[in-house]
Amino acid sequence: MKKIIVEGLKYKYPLSDTLALDDLSFEVNEGEFIGIIGKNSAGKSTLCQALVGLVPHFYKGAYGGKVIVDGLEVKSHSIADIALKVGMVFQNPFTQVTGSKMSVYEEIAFGLENIGLPRSEIIERTDYVLDLLKIEQVKDHNPFDLSGGQMQRMAIASIIAMKPDILVLDEPTSQLDPAGSEEVFSAIQNLSKQGITVILAEHKMEKVAQYCDRVLLLNDGKMVDLDSPAIVFSRKDLEDHGVRAPVFTRVCKALGVKKADSDDYPVTLEDAEKVLRGRML
Amino acid sequence: MKSISLYVERDSFIHDVDPITKLLYILFALLIPIILPTFTISFFCLGISILLLIVAKVIRKTVPVFSFVFLVLITVVIIQGLFKPENETVLFQIGPVAMYKEGLLYALTITLRVTNIVSSFLILVLTTKPSDLVETLVRKGMSPRIGYVIVSVFQIIPEMMSSMGTIMDAQRARGMETEGNLFVRVKAFVPLLGPVILGALINTKERAMALEVRGFNSRTPKTYLYEEKKYTHSKLIQSAMLFLVVGAVAWRIFV
Repeated sequence: MKKIIVEGLKYKYPLSDTLALDDLSFEVNEGEFIGIIGKNSAGKSTLCQALVGLVPHFYKGAYGGKVIVDGLEVKSHSIADIALKVGMVFQNPFTQVTGSKMSVYEEIAFGLENIGLPRSEIIERTDYVLDLLKIEQVKDHNPFDLSGGQMQRMAIASIIAMKPDILVLDEPTSQLDPAGSEEVFSAIQNLSKQGITVILAEHKMEKVAQYCDRVLLLNDGKMVDLDSPAIVFSRKDLEDHGVRAPVFTRVCKALGVKKADSDDYPVTLEDAEKVLRGRML
Repeated sequence: MKSISLYVERDSFIHDVDPITKLLYILFALLIPIILPTFTISFFCLGISILLLIVAKVIRKTVPVFSFVFLVLITVVIIQGLFKPENETVLFQIGPVAMYKEGLLYALTITLRVTNIVSSFLILVLTTKPSDLVETLVRKGMSPRIGYVIVSVFQIIPEMMSSMGTIMDAQRARGMETEGNLFVRVKAFVPLLGPVILGALINTKERAMALEVRGFNSRTPKTYLYEEKKYTHSKLIQSAMLFLVVGAVAWRIFV
């Protein structure tokens, strides 16, 4: 089933002369894990926001084409309606704290109160996400007293608690240490395995290669490619689009080692290890 | 985290009273001296408020507020005592300056009214968590948006102040003079405004987006994480206050 359908999406911010998104068309299946990559200001965040309706409802500006998420056309529905289907986690964890709640527990419950869930359901879901993101130990702390990483986990937890069908994450691990981002990624992968469609904008290419089913490469608001990580990261013109392949791919490229029976370079540590060991023997 | 709320956490009977009742008490303490404008009644109302503040164990926290209020009131006493147009009877004389009885009595009325309002207001502010007050009001039908604005101010203002501190430290680290005489400090304040105001605007935009995706504008009726707090004696206290107001009106009309 097609969960997200984007057709000829064009968007220009108010007061800007250039298109932030230029004629994007793609489809995403239910349960897929899609990574969005591209250099800074390539349009990653704008595309994420277009999927939850912040573009165009929040910013206004010139909008063309169609975005359909889970059967809802974004342009003709309010953000509150779309928010029940699509959850979004933003880059900056500090501004995602509502400021009206005194503890992490209440903060996570905020969205659930707004969508009118019964009390028992709120408590059950909040406990579940506290455990999923491993922030139980800070549940009674004031949200503003958390470290950047804990705050980021709280922001992700707050959205996951709302149980969206589609989860959009805009650089969700920018404040986390390597172990922390690994944990968050595997939590997201778990959700993806449960059938949630995940869209993730990220700069950590190794993680994208490891977890994503397909990778969408953006440059200057245009879609360059949407394909499996192996094919996208094996592109010869990757660096012209401002993206560096995962370090394993770069090593294999330099050595000229491709995956067995294919034209692509390995993109994960395991694949690289496999082909390189094969060569050493 | 630093809070700008004056709420004091104590274990007392007053802390367990419904915020709505405390709001009504302010109205009560305001109405009674208007209905019965005698000094005895005013002193009596003030006495009750102060007694309640003592019972709530927060009387010491009222000292800074009252000292500020008295600073203002002293000017009222001096000006009314010296210059009120109806002044006739000289009460006492200090050198060439004469204080008049009429002016001083009028100043006493004002002083009583002001301290009365301030102390009844302090009962609410010092013994009620802002979030409890707002939640009670939202449950009674106030818009959750207004509730959000009131509660978030208590956290976002200290947050802005701490980011201002960070920006100032960063500027100091790059060699800007921020300490010294008034002129130096005023000069250091100007470059602070740009980043603080712009930063606050950007944060507000991002926070508004984050609220949107968490269903803040959802039309479904809101539910609550906590069960409605059961406050004791709300009905009793409220009806006693109503009874006293009605009694005061009757007293004024018939006696």
